[in-house]
Formats: sequence, structure tokens, C-alpha cells
Amino acid sequence: MWIQLMPVLVVLSVLFGGALVLGVMQSLGFAPWFGVNTFPDFQYFGALWGDWFFWQSLGLTLYYALVSTFLSLVMGVLLALALVRYFPGKTFYKYLYKLPLMIPYTVGIALAVIMMGNSGMISRLMAFVGLIDDPSQFPQILKTHYGWGIIAVYVWKQTPFVALTVYAVLLGVGRETEEAAAILGANKWQIFFQVTFPQILPGIVSSTLIIFAFNIGAFEAPFILGGGFPDTLPVVAWRYFNDADYTLQLQGMATVVSIALIAGVILYSYLSFYRRYERRIGRH
Amino acid sequence: MKKLLISLSLSVSAIASSAVADEVTDFRDGFLKGEVTWSDVETRAKSEGEVNLYYWGGSDPINIWMDQVVTPALAELGVKFNPVRITGTKDAVDLVLAEKGAGKGLGEGSVDAIWLNGENFATLKRQDALFGAFADKMPNSQFIEWNPEDPRSLLNLRDFGVETNAAEVPWSGEQYVCAVNTSRVDKGNVPGTFAELKTYLEANPGKFTYVKPPHYLGNTFVQAAIYAHNPDGTGGEPFQNSIDELGVEELARLITPGLEYLKSLEPLLLGAQSGSARYPEDNTALDGLFLNGEIDFSCKFGLYAVAVGLSNGTYPEGAEAFVFPEGNMIKNKNYLAIPANAPNPAAALVLANYMTSVDSQVTKLKFTGMPAGVDPWKLSEDDVKALTEASPGLVGVTQAELDANTAPDTNATLVDVIEATWLEYIERDSSDQIETIVQRAADNLSK
Repeated sequence: MWIQLMPVLVVLSVLFGGALVLGVMQSLGFAPWFGVNTFPDFQYFGALWGDWFFWQSLGLTLYYALVSTFLSLVMGVLLALALVRYFPGKTFYKYLYKLPLMIPYTVGIALAVIMMGNSGMISRLMAFVGLIDDPSQFPQILKTHYGWGIIAVYVWKQTPFVALTVYAVLLGVGRETEEAAAILGANKWQIFFQVTFPQILPGIVSSTLIIFAFNIGAFEAPFILGGGFPDTLPVVAWRYFNDADYTLQLQGMATVVSIALIAGVILYSYLSFYRRYERRIGRH
Repeated sequence: MKKLLISLSLSVSAIASSAVADEVTDFRDGFLKGEVTWSDVETRAKSEGEVNLYYWGGSDPINIWMDQVVTPALAELGVKFNPVRITGTKDAVDLVLAEKGAGKGLGEGSVDAIWLNGENFATLKRQDALFGAFADKMPNSQFIEWNPEDPRSLLNLRDFGVETNAAEVPWSGEQYVCAVNTSRVDKGNVPGTFAELKTYLEANPGKFTYVKPPHYLGNTFVQAAIYAHNPDGTGGEPFQNSIDELGVEELARLITPGLEYLKSLEPLLLGAQSGSARYPEDNTALDGLFLNGEIDFSCKFGLYAVAVGLSNGTYPEGAEAFVFPEGNMIKNKNYLAIPANAPNPAAALVLANYMTSVDSQVTKLKFTGMPAGVDPWKLSEDDVKALTEASPGLVGVTQAELDANTAPDTNATLVDVIEATWLEYIERDSSDQIETIVQRAADNLSK
């Protein structure tokens, strides 16, 4: 058994564990290669957490992550429920909905820029048709702090992922319990919330865990489609790393460690909350 | 734990520095002392076989020129040219320093040459990560003015106020030039001063923005505004000193009017009417806004940017350069530097020498519109003529107008403080006094 586990263990402990330890140490002032070594030193966390912009950025990060996770969840579950039923063209549709899964995020972001940007197709078309005088009058969709662009890309990419996971669970469960409930006189809502939902909950929890963890740490979409200062935390970290001043890299590392801490706490609480629920309904 | 790690890294570096390294440092010391002839350098370069140039790869014309012109030219000299395109010059600097930190010395790193200037050069110099004073010891060094008594040598001897000590060789010279979209702006309304720009924006709010500092294009705009608002009226002159020479209080006094102007300009910038002002992240984003008619003026480095932009369609029809701000159009050079741990130092020298040749300067200008880095008064008449013919030409301004409004770049030690102050005072909208912010930024940087 150990031999089978070895490759994964080595990768996890050496690559991931090593980077984690080094990252935490750097955020605590260990960087002799820049001539900085005040380990252990909490001033980088102090400076970061003591600044109001950090909390603003955290709020923004959580807002994008939560809203897009929630929207993907709702749309993904609806899609999965539709897919277990029969409808004409289902085979074609089953391939079509998976398309975003195969397209990288960066391409999705590029599509958003090309379509929805002020220099994008929609704005050019509207100017061409004469609805607006010139493309610069097109309403600002991308690069605002509402984050429509960021959320759109995440939802576009993650809805199929949720649907795929939930659909697999639904196929495994079969439709017998739902039919039994229908025969016993349950209406549509009762069937969904009391029969189907508890059955697909493991799929919902695992897929939302994964997409939320991605959304909170992702950099490209908020960097390209975001509204500038205040930025999300991963972008803040990038700005620190990219500054010509080397001492700021430690501040950047403190930002990265903070993101990991916050994401860890949220995901852990979510999971333990779910475990409690499982125990309460008698599953384990 | 700390001691263990240090001793570990020390022992790793001890193992790494072998006898091979001694031979290569002998070559370096010999070359820097002038004991190695150029044909020895060329022979050695052939045996090294390859050279890795790290440069910003965000411009297609430059990439094409590298692949179509530099690669075959170096192949003729027996060196395989590996252009490594990076998204930010700092990546290459990071790599050099990381490898230096890991104990990799001359002959053992991975970067042979970097295209850079300003803060990146200052960082390498501060960290003692440069090959040495090579730039005035190559055959083609004759095309560059090294005589400190000639005031025109300033841009070769100082890079953002930092002494180059010939550790980097000039490759191209640029000037910060603004372009106007004449199909949207009447000739009479084109601003020449910062006050006129503000008047224009009051009548046409949102039709201008500049690249966000700490990007160098944004830093330069901020510097130009600071020069123009210098309370002593001495323009860029005091900003040639380092932060230690100038003093924090004096710096704060000199930059306050400029920063206050920029703060008062912010509500008139792009996007400010419907929320917060938008600053583009880089050159490409700025060009996009200008092409799309979202802004009427676009400021960046590029003597020939308008001609090049018009020919490849990245500038709107009707784009023309104009003199702005009068008397404070910042001029600088960019350079090629060889890091201290270059794996192929002789090939790097051969590359640097080729890049300084008139031939490569002419084709570079023709392909990319990057002005020459060599000094025209050091060239023969035919060479000057070849350069003039290769130039894409100026649109809307004359060379005499540009020369009459030149200003020097800001000292690299001040650039860091000024950009930190901009981020704090303008982007984060701090309510602190500028003097307090400057003091804090200077303290942070000197840590």
C-alpha cells in the first residue's frame, strides 16, 4: 500500500509542503537572498492587516468568489436536473455544455474582452448601427468593481463543472426514489428538497469546494477584468512581487499566506458544517 | 533552523563553484583589464556556442527583428542566439538574483544579457550582480560618447541618474512623446502645458488617462508633471541627485505641487465621471484606449511611435505627435547589461558588440522604429545617412522641437519614493500630508 502512495506523497510533501514552509518563512522575514533575515518577524502581517485597503481587498475577493460560486451552483444543478430527463437533441446538448470545460480561463477572459469591452464587438456593432455615437460611449461592463466580467467568466466556466459532478451523482442514484415520492403524493418542490437534494449534496459540496478555492485564489480574471484599486488579494500580492523594490516581496508573501489562511478557514468550516449535517441525517 | 539553512546553502554553493569557474573568472578579469584581444573573445564565444538574451517580448516588430536579423547575424559569428521573451524585465533580474543567491557564479547562471534600464539596472548594481565595465572595451564602443567632458555623454554615463560605470551598453534612445487624435481635437485646443491639459479636460471630461505607476510609462508622466510644477522653476535639475544627496524633506517640498496637480486632475480622467478613474496597466492597454477613441491624448516613450502605430494600425488615423509638456519631455536611453553569472560571457560580449554596430542599429530602426542608441556625432557621414533613411519619420513635430524641449530622467532612488507616494496619495487617496507619505516611503525603502 505504501508503495502505491509513495509518488503522491513525495510530490505533496516535497513540492507542495516545501513551498508552503518556505512561503510561510518568507512572510515572517526570512529572505537572506535579498539580504533580509529577521525571522521570525510579524511586521509584514502587521503592516498588511493594519491597513484598511487589505480588508477592502478581502471583501472584494470574497464578493467575486461567493457570487460566482453561488450562481454556478444554481445554474449547474438546474442543468444537471434537466440533463437526466429526456429531451430532443439531448446527445448534442450533452457535448455542447461541456465546451467551456475544455477552454482555458485565459481564453474565456479574452472572449469577455473581445465581446464586452468598450473596444469590443458589441460596442463596435452598436456604434456601427448608430445606437451610440462612438464606442467610448458604450456602458462600462468590464473593469468596474461590480466585477460583471469576472463573475461572467467564472460562471461560464464553472457551471458545466458543477453540472458534470451533480449529473454523475444523479445517474448513480437513479430515479426510483423520486418516482416513489411522486407516487406517494409529493409535489415537485417536496421531491427536490426532500429527496433529490440530500442525494446530490455530496456532489454539490465537493464541486463548490473546488470552485470556491479556485475563485478566491485566482489572479488572471480580476487582474485583466477588474476595476483597479482596490484590487483582489491575489492581484495585490502580484503587485508586491512585481515591484522593483525587493523588500516588498516579503509583503507579497505575507499576502499570499493570508489568502491561504482565509481560504483554509472558510473551506474547513464549510466542510465541518456539512459533516455535522451528514451526521444529523444519519449518514457518515 | 536558521543556521542549518544557511550552512546548507553555503555548502551547496561551495560544491557548485568548481575549477571551471576559475577559468571563466580569469577570462573576465583579463578582458576587463584589457589583456584579452577581441579575436580571443570571438574564438571563445564560438566554443561557448550560444547566448541567451532576456528581453521584454511584448512587441511583435522587435521579436521579428530578433528572429530574422539577429539570429542569422550571430550564426555567422558561430554563436547560436537564444532570444528569451519575458513579460517583464524584472523576471530576468529576479532569475539572476535567485541564481546568484543559490551560489551560481560566472559561467553557471542562465542569463547572458538583459535589455533594461532604470530601476532594474539599479537593482542589479546594488546587488553586485553585474559582469563589469565591458561597454567601453568593445570594437563598436567607438560609436558611443564616453568623454565625461562632453555634456552629451550624460545618457551613456548615467541611467536614471545612476552611474552606469560601463556595466551596460546603450542600445536605444527614447523620448517621452504624447500623441493627439486630430480627428477628435481641433489644432487650436491641443495642450502644450499641464494647465492647458486641465482646461481641455474640464471641457471634455474623461478624454485622457495615463498608465498606472509603478509601470515606467506612468512613472514618467508623473515625473514630467513634477518637473513642470517644480516650485523653484528648475525643472528636472534637482531630481538628478540621489535621495541621500537631496534629502527627504527637500524631495517632499519639490514634488508637492506636481502631486497636487495630479490629484486635482484625477476627477477629470477616464472613467472618473462614472465611478473611479481608470489607469491602464501597460502600453498595449493605453494604445487600445487611444485607438478606440476613449482618450484623445496618449503619452508614452516612442520618438517614432506615431509613424509606427499608423503603419501597423495600432494608432487611430489622424494621430500626430505634439510638444507636451513644453520643456519637460523626458529623454533616456535603454541598455544591454551582462549579469555577473552569465553562462556564456564571451558570447554575451559578442552579442553586445553586434547590437552596438551601425548595421544592427539601422535594421533595428527600420524594423521596429526604435531610435538609435549610438551617438550620431561618433558615426561616419554615410552611417548617419543610413540611419536617417531607416527612420520611420516624425509626425506632427520636428526633431528641433523635440530637442528644444528635452528633460533628463529622474534618479532611480527617487523614482521608488515618488511611485510609492503616488500610490499612497493618489491611488489610495491618503489624507496624510505629502511630507509624511514621502518620509514613510523613504523609510520603507531604506529598510
